[in-house]
Amino acid sequence: MPLAFRFTLLAAAVLFAALLSLTIGQRSDVGITNVLQLLFVNDGSLARSAVVDLRLPRMLVAGLVGINLALAGLALQAVTRNPLASESVLGINQGAALGVALGLVIPGLIGVNLDVMAIIGAVLAGVVTFSIAGGLGGRLDSMRLILAGVTVGAFSFAFVRFTFTLEDNLSRLVLSWTSADISSARFDQALPLVFWAAGGFLVSIFMAHSFNILALGDGASQGLGVDPRRARFIGAMLAAVLTGASVAAAGPVMFVGLVMPHLCRLWFGPNHRVLVPAVALGGAGLVLTADVVSKLVRFPYETPLGIICALIGAPYFLYATLRAKNMA
Amino acid sequence: MTGLASPRTRATNRAVILIVALLALVICVSLWGLSVGAVAIPVDVIVNTLFNLDGEQQTYIIMKSRLPRMVLALLAGGALALSGAIIQAVIRNPLASPNVIGINSGAALFALGMVLLFPAIPQVWMPLAACLGGLCAAGFVMLVAHYRSLSAVHLALIGVAVGFVFESGVDYLLITSNDSESSAPMIWLTGSLWGRTWSHVGISWIPMIALSGVALILSYRLDLIALGEATATGLGLNVPRQRLIMLFVATMLASVAVAVVGVMGFIGLMAPHIARRLVGGSHRLMLPVSMLVGMLLVVLADGIGRAIAPPIEISAGILAALIGAPFFIYIMLTTASEQEP
Repeated sequence: MPLAFRFTLLAAAVLFAALLSLTIGQRSDVGITNVLQLLFVNDGSLARSAVVDLRLPRMLVAGLVGINLALAGLALQAVTRNPLASESVLGINQGAALGVALGLVIPGLIGVNLDVMAIIGAVLAGVVTFSIAGGLGGRLDSMRLILAGVTVGAFSFAFVRFTFTLEDNLSRLVLSWTSADISSARFDQALPLVFWAAGGFLVSIFMAHSFNILALGDGASQGLGVDPRRARFIGAMLAAVLTGASVAAAGPVMFVGLVMPHLCRLWFGPNHRVLVPAVALGGAGLVLTADVVSKLVRFPYETPLGIICALIGAPYFLYATLRAKNMA
Repeated sequence: MTGLASPRTRATNRAVILIVALLALVICVSLWGLSVGAVAIPVDVIVNTLFNLDGEQQTYIIMKSRLPRMVLALLAGGALALSGAIIQAVIRNPLASPNVIGINSGAALFALGMVLLFPAIPQVWMPLAACLGGLCAAGFVMLVAHYRSLSAVHLALIGVAVGFVFESGVDYLLITSNDSESSAPMIWLTGSLWGRTWSHVGISWIPMIALSGVALILSYRLDLIALGEATATGLGLNVPRQRLIMLFVATMLASVAVAVVGVMGFIGLMAPHIARRLVGGSHRLMLPVSMLVGMLLVVLADGIGRAIAPPIEISAGILAALIGAPFFIYIMLTTASEQEP
């Protein structure tokens, strides 16, 4: 299949998922036939308001979070040269969640921008994980990397869970947020994500060449004029910032960063110049699909997005580890 | 004439002194743990109560509430530490812990599932369900390891993945349930000794002590595994089989502990590290010292959790994580260069 055709197919799938995400819900007067009309023609009806004010921002948040997380996962896999690395496996997602949870419960920190807290948490978790695994400069030991990531993640989540036990009202809030419930998303959450996703996409495209060369090994990349330490640093920071921004907007959505780069590599090959747009599209498509599923699985009740992604992603991760041939 | 003593005797003497000192420390901390809480009780009253001496006694609080949880803390601390030490030896990586094999997540899912999906079953059975879950998770990992002779790295990764699968199930259950029933399992998930009674001790002490005995007897095999797969095989050890046996013992230990005290991930990671620093890598000494350190940590975490802001309690698991995380990071950073292969 030619590349252009594959991209068209993927884009069509994303559009279809986005349309479904707008259409599906508890209102019977919104259907696949009239959703576009409701979206573009302001007839002042309640259905129009439901589509534009409730479902459109939610769809945008889902799609943009998908782009951010998938790009973050791609950068991490390139940086660690490990196809099983991702922000949830390395503890970065959970670190961001810890940052937000602290921002919600510590009195002195209330009012500090949650985006900032999440990004600080994500960067700190990433720094700890990478330092334990041998640092950005030296050779990363993949075993240590993953075990350290799991430990950092477990530690962060222990704290997030602890905040549940502090106060009953807070527990409900934190719980719905840690499960990435985006049903109440509004435009003011979607707007910063547009900025982060666009920036992340540009940096990823810019770094694609370095990521390709990084795959050849440190010696080769130095010989080809790419400083591996600098490329790793930029890649890891990019991943941490994108993860932090998405976690602040939607909560910790797990495994998107693992699944999408993995699938795209199978379908589009290992070249990062092709992979970056493919992964961005695919990430949006995956989370949009998960959003649709989250509305349908216990209809008419909703299941939070994060739960759906974890239920899809965790078995996929298991499958990927079982399939992987050599790990060392 | 210490100069004439052989190195071996000196090392043994040192170990004996260390173990005695640790034991004394565990007893002191336990006494302190019995005395703190919503009602502070002086140590002499505790001693009077425990040994039924003359003088003031506080039978109800100590015998009914604090002593059982103290005993449980000791048992669970020892079991978790031992389990962690075995798993680290089998996977041959100091970052491994019961968490990594998915035991905690499996136990959590089954316990939560029992409470939320079958509310008719009395809560006393929760430990059994947790045990089953831990075995399920670790059993899957061991099964895969059995049928496809895998490297230790791969084993750990599959364990992590299995843990994630169970974890996603835990999240699903927590979210889809209504809140009134989920708060008890939620506290249990963070690892707490709150509200434990003699019935919890009754169902857990026999398996814990029996399994600890088995682990200590088999400890020399861990020393052989530590030599590396090729050497161990050359010395006549069936390495894959021994790995499975030791992992099974470790799983049972951790599952029983998780069943009664909840998820306390960091004990199984920290205690073996401290023990290795104290007595070196020989498992004959390292395992008992790990157990003592584990007991010390859990009792300390439980006591501090009750002492900080009585009558509010902070989960021992949280405090263990709070103390353990900086320590863990320090250890990992300082040993990073040595462990590079």
